[in-house]
Amino acid sequence: MLNVLILGVGQCGNRILDAVNKEAMGGGGASKIAKYCLKPKFPSRVETVAINTAINDLKELRYTTAKDRLHVPNLHGMGANRNVGKQAFMDNRDSIMGEIEKRGDFDLAFVLTSTSGGTGSSFSPLLINELKRQYPNITVVTVAILPFREEGSIYLQNAAFSMRELMELDADGIILADNQYMKRFSGDIASAYDKINSTIAKRLLFLIESLDSEMLSVTDLGDFKTVMNGGLRIGTMGYYQADGKNNSVKDAIENSLKPNNLLYPANVADDAARAMVIIQGSKEHLDVDQITKEVEKITASAGHVFKGIVVKKGHPRVLSVFTLAAAPELESIYAQAARGMQDEKEKRSRARKQLDDAFAHIEDLEEIY
Amino acid sequence: MKSGERREKSLKRTIDLQNRDMGKKLHLDILRLACLAILILLLSTAFIGAVQGADDDDDDDEVTYNDFTLGIGDRIDISNYRAELIEIQSVKDGIAVLQVSRTGGGLDEQRAFLENRANNFIGGAEKGGITLTVVDILDDESARVRIEYQESLGTPSRRASERPVSSGDKPALTVQKSFDKSEMSVGDEVKVTVTIMNMGTGKAQNIKLDDAPPLPEFSYVAGYPPKIKDTLDPGQSDSAVYMMNAIKESTIRVSAIQVSYTDSKDNVLLNSSEPFDIVINPKSVADLAIRMEVPGPLPLGGTGMANISIENVGKAPATRIEAKGDIKPPVGLEASGFERSFFEIPPGGEVNYSVMLSGKDSGNYTIHLKTTFDGGDGSAIREGSAEVVVLKREYKYEYLLLLIPIIIIAAWLYRRHREYKY
Repeated sequence: MLNVLILGVGQCGNRILDAVNKEAMGGGGASKIAKYCLKPKFPSRVETVAINTAINDLKELRYTTAKDRLHVPNLHGMGANRNVGKQAFMDNRDSIMGEIEKRGDFDLAFVLTSTSGGTGSSFSPLLINELKRQYPNITVVTVAILPFREEGSIYLQNAAFSMRELMELDADGIILADNQYMKRFSGDIASAYDKINSTIAKRLLFLIESLDSEMLSVTDLGDFKTVMNGGLRIGTMGYYQADGKNNSVKDAIENSLKPNNLLYPANVADDAARAMVIIQGSKEHLDVDQITKEVEKITASAGHVFKGIVVKKGHPRVLSVFTLAAAPELESIYAQAARGMQDEKEKRSRARKQLDDAFAHIEDLEEIY
Repeated sequence: MKSGERREKSLKRTIDLQNRDMGKKLHLDILRLACLAILILLLSTAFIGAVQGADDDDDDDEVTYNDFTLGIGDRIDISNYRAELIEIQSVKDGIAVLQVSRTGGGLDEQRAFLENRANNFIGGAEKGGITLTVVDILDDESARVRIEYQESLGTPSRRASERPVSSGDKPALTVQKSFDKSEMSVGDEVKVTVTIMNMGTGKAQNIKLDDAPPLPEFSYVAGYPPKIKDTLDPGQSDSAVYMMNAIKESTIRVSAIQVSYTDSKDNVLLNSSEPFDIVINPKSVADLAIRMEVPGPLPLGGTGMANISIENVGKAPATRIEAKGDIKPPVGLEASGFERSFFEIPPGGEVNYSVMLSGKDSGNYTIHLKTTFDGGDGSAIREGSAEVVVLKREYKYEYLLLLIPIIIIAAWLYRRHREYKY
């Protein structure tokens, strides 16, 4: 059995973590009742910890137990200032790591974080670094959430620097999820957040279940680690669940890789470096020949594809995890972030010059009373 | 001397008197017969003439009679005859004494009359004299006397006694026998009182009581046969008491007691009491009735009082009463104060006491009370019992059972809420 640690860092990470716990309760409205009478049904031994400097963000959580909420005291949050966040982490590193240590040893850790916020973007690189330092054998995968582009230059700036730090770590890859890309799930931002969080949570639980299941065709943590180490060590996930009208596993696999089913905009055929395709469903729907042919098609473009087949009652469900050899959207973000930073810098220079010019009017004067 | 002999002697004496009178009469009769023979000759001559002379005189010779009730001293007068009741010698033997006289002489005789026996004077009524008969002796003071006479003598009339009523020579005893109770029970003692009183004017002598035979329904304890004085002066009384024990259940008629006595003339007189009935009931014994009032179901560990009443429903006092109780089954119900003793419970009386009961184990128990006593006819036993229930432990808060799951669920929900409350 896999020992999995899921850390939700910052407001965004906390909410995704809460969504994971909610899905583990069964999801939907029933989970509101289920949380009072049931324990979360995780496929493996899963420990969750929500870390935040803003206590109000922790209070908003509904499906994460209080003992799994770790408040890092830093007055009223980071104010999106990563430097403050880093300092806060360093100041509270021992308590944070001590809280993780209490939960035992783990094989796999997911760090759920926003790349743009204050706490998440500043804490996560340092936290991952600490995890890898204290638990050398642990596989640490970051689930990094890219911000809405219109959220502001600081968030973009944070995302840019945070992503860079995450990529420079000796971690085991990053799974990207782009809010801007997934905004299409819902019209308004509030419901989009919930949908995005739920989507990410379901895919993570599917992945954990698949890595810890007896499969018809085996994929395990090692395979997952290999996949995540491919390409830029940045990847994303695609997911598709067939309905009763079309139970073709071939179509399910293809659909799982289509852009509208991905967490991050990518072209699997062109950009995938390594991939893992996990197919789950009733045996009558799992045509191995079709699966093999379809996987071979992906392999032709992605280089190497691990396939896992889990026999479980229901329509075919497919989770595809792949790393990218190229991430053009990231470049776009960095460019946008750089522009934003440049604009900010220019605005600040202009403001400073205007202020200096204003001060120049009284430069040789004394106060007269 | 027995009364019968006395009566015979009295009768004999009376007859001797008569015989003596009869002897005297015999001499007179001889003379009369001689005279009578002469007279017959004369009369026969006269008769022939008379028959030839006048028929009108036939009606005057017709004999008739009248009855009179005479008291002592009363008399009948007709023509120049006079008959006076002197005394009633014996009512029983039917002897009365009358004095018969004729004014102008020729007759002055006191004669004892036997009842219903005619006595002729001066030839009797057929011959122009009178015939007297005591037809009924009513009592020792009066008699009914018939006088027969020829109508030519006129009409007889009764004349009351001109003599003062004699007193002081006629005893009259009354006798009374009484029981001190008319209804009794076997074993009861009864006192019999015999009282004799001389209500007469003369002294009663040779008084004897005849209170026989003894009643078989009684055992005679003391004083029997009753003894009284031999003589009683007028107005005096005497009584005798004897004691008996009723020994047999019965309704019996107590026969009369008879007293016999003689007056100053040695007349034997008798009197007797009235018989009466008495009832002898079965022997009076005591009988105890036991009533036990037990408390309702006792709660486990609770206590209650059992009230016990012992009532004597018999007719004799119960003595030496011992009450003992036991409980079956012996374990589970405890009682204190069961055993009691009482010296006596009178008939209709009642004693009460209470017993403290304490329920230790649930179940049904029987309280059994056994009472021994002396009921007057030996030792007797009476028993009573009552049922006592000791309830199982009662849980009055069953409704809490409904609350328990609610509380558990609420506690569980609260705990879960606390788990998620930050």
